[in-house]
Amino acid sequence: MQRSEASGVGSGEWGVGATSPISDLGPPTPDSRLPRLAPLQEWMQGVVTHPGDVYQAAAEAALGVDSVILPSASLQPIQRVGLYHGMYMLRMIEALTIDYGSVAHFLGEEAFEKLVRAYVQRFPSRSYTLNRLGDSLPEFIATSALKRRIFLRDLASLELAMTHVFDEAEAEPLPGDAIASIAPERIAEARIVPIPALRLLSLDYDANEAFQAWRDERPMKPQRRKSWVAIHRHDYGVRRMPLSREAFTFLGSLVAGQTIGDAIAAFHRRIKRLPEQDELFTWFRDWSAAGLFAAIEVT
Amino acid sequence: MNRFDLPDLGIGVGLRTVHYAHILGTRPDVDWFEALSENYLDTGGRARFVLEKIAEQYPIVLHGVSMSIGGTDPLDFDYLRKLKALGQAVKARWISDHLCWTGVSGRNVHDLLPMPYNDEALHHTAERVRIVSDFLEMPLVVENPSSYVEFTTTTMTEWDFLAALAAESDCGLLLDVNNIYVSSFNHGFDPKVYVDAIPADRVVQVHLAGHANHGTHIIDTHDNFVIDEVWSLYARACARIGDVSTLMEWDADIPDFETVHAEARKAEAFRSVEVAYAAV
Repeated sequence: MQRSEASGVGSGEWGVGATSPISDLGPPTPDSRLPRLAPLQEWMQGVVTHPGDVYQAAAEAALGVDSVILPSASLQPIQRVGLYHGMYMLRMIEALTIDYGSVAHFLGEEAFEKLVRAYVQRFPSRSYTLNRLGDSLPEFIATSALKRRIFLRDLASLELAMTHVFDEAEAEPLPGDAIASIAPERIAEARIVPIPALRLLSLDYDANEAFQAWRDERPMKPQRRKSWVAIHRHDYGVRRMPLSREAFTFLGSLVAGQTIGDAIAAFHRRIKRLPEQDELFTWFRDWSAAGLFAAIEVT
Repeated sequence: MNRFDLPDLGIGVGLRTVHYAHILGTRPDVDWFEALSENYLDTGGRARFVLEKIAEQYPIVLHGVSMSIGGTDPLDFDYLRKLKALGQAVKARWISDHLCWTGVSGRNVHDLLPMPYNDEALHHTAERVRIVSDFLEMPLVVENPSSYVEFTTTTMTEWDFLAALAAESDCGLLLDVNNIYVSSFNHGFDPKVYVDAIPADRVVQVHLAGHANHGTHIIDTHDNFVIDEVWSLYARACARIGDVSTLMEWDADIPDFETVHAEARKAEAFRSVEVAYAAV
């Protein structure tokens, strides 16, 4: 059953006469005014995930809380369901704070909570893992009314790439001398296979420097200047490697599956010069040492 | 021994990230580990590497929070396929999840949301348990949840529901004695009646944990030591069930490994049936 996100509080169907998605699942409850299982779950999810407080959630629900939830000796029904309501948003905030620590720090607690509340309404979790909850946060920030939203988008993109790299499949990196072992006349035809745990980012702000400032507990100063960074994993640790525009251009072509010869040609078209031999040597040496490559194929 | 011939693994500890280095570095004298399934399903990173290393040295049980066995969305077979593969990779002795639902309409609230206990929910859940057990090719082990609400549509007790579910679906049970205590406080029932009513031959494992008592209600926080009343319930359970795989959960404000392990090992004092009877 996949319904639109618009079906929130009060959208459930109630009673025996309603068209229930589980109408074949046994007899109705004794009191036909009470919700069956599927609408009860829709109702409770709507209340628990409502962006306002639990009283607003209850006010908008199709049935009164008292008709669905029993009181305890010490708590009224709304207080009881309010426990779930309160814990839901805390869990969302905690999960996104873990993945987007620098964004949360830059915004401050109150503004980040407000961002999360809005975000999970538009992009609620649809996965069995909270690890993917924040996958749409960079695009959400980019279209938000936040001040510094382009900087925050870049910072979020960096942190998202780090979470993806953290979870990517492991691959044995290519030995450092593998590229040197290719016959010179075949090198242009060679194709480099990157490790899965590699992401390349082209950013409008120097988000990597801002992220490092946060890590070092220095003030984060948004610097509007184009920057390029490789996020990769080495020995199960996530690393960030700043790149020049030239290095990003060449590495990007290799990662896209181009042969070394085609990557050089693409470099020439974009940078308006050929890469220096020293440049190529340094890049391959550094990238191999960082373990960015899993294989080299010569057709 | 339970009816599934699943072994008593002894006293285990929930595997948590903050303890990885200690476990790999010192190989502590723990009987077994329980790993939270969802933390290892979609990762090829350090977590998966560590779990597979630990699985080479210790028995592993997988414990999930997202199966939504009581949910009314269709079962997620993509999730189940990955779960089964993970279980095979780490030679999981069994796989457990909670009697709960976690979301509907394709959403996941990431909470163990409570079920109404009535015939409709029973038959619905039992059918799903049977499907999952068939798919996993092993009996699913279902844990009693802690809960903070009761529904007006409930027509039976939680312990009667669990017993009926076990009989109808032929599943195993993971008896969380802390959850029994938490729910008994929140709903005002006698936790001893609950323990006494559980079909002992279905119980494959027991959970222990700490909680947070707010006076008017208890939240199942897994952030503290086990209280005496829960140890008493554990003793009562051991007296009925016999020696059973027992695991200490600690999920927030997690202390060093030795502290968690020492808390778990307190269970040894109750595992002899004679001792357990004396303590009841």
